[in-house]
Amino acid sequence: MDFERLQAVLRALEAHGVRYAIVGAVALNVHGLARFTEDLDIFVEPEQGNIARLRAALASVFDDPEIEDITAADLLGPYPAIQYVPPEGAFHLDIVTRLGEAFAFEDLQTERVPFGDITITVVTPRMLYDMKKNTVRLKDRADAELLRLRFGFEEE
Amino acid sequence: MPVRKFRSVEEMSQPIWRQPGDPALYRTMAALWETGTRTSRRRYPPGVHKHRSVAEMHRVQESWAADRK
Repeated sequence: MDFERLQAVLRALEAHGVRYAIVGAVALNVHGLARFTEDLDIFVEPEQGNIARLRAALASVFDDPEIEDITAADLLGPYPAIQYVPPEGAFHLDIVTRLGEAFAFEDLQTERVPFGDITITVVTPRMLYDMKKNTVRLKDRADAELLRLRFGFEEE
Repeated sequence: MPVRKFRSVEEMSQPIWRQPGDPALYRTMAALWETGTRTSRRRYPPGVHKHRSVAEMHRVQESWAADRK
């Protein structure tokens, strides 16, 4: 993933007042463990105005009419997971409004963390551990184990 | 890059955690991602892709990745 593009997107989310929380591998990076990832995963508040702000934020970074197709009707309805791949560059964004029955935006434990010259919202290490530990993907379970060892979480 | 010395091979493979906000963390992320992007050469189809669940989204991404290997 393109680090400068990530910074630009996060800066835009902040500038447009998007209510979001970073989850996934970028959250692991932000909490202190640099590891390669191909995408930015964000949980966004499932609210019409927030999705409009998200579109505006992305449109300020990418000159791409496809962004208009990221809609509240989809994200609040039948498509709670949307992947956006810009026309160029090594960056893509996974946007999630709910994670099955297990996690909703209002359930997330988050914290504000410095990231260069901005401050961003990321799920806490404990929340990230809880999200990753029971998934089917091997890399998520490996991340969960790294978090458990680093932060001293009890194995259940 | 400075020389780093280890007391065992196991120690070499331990993950290096840094404090959030540490500029060294960002430098490492940027360098690692740049290298990873250059070597993986993956490129997913541009556009907006809609999925009924995160699991479905991951399955589709993995199939794209497999197609490009």
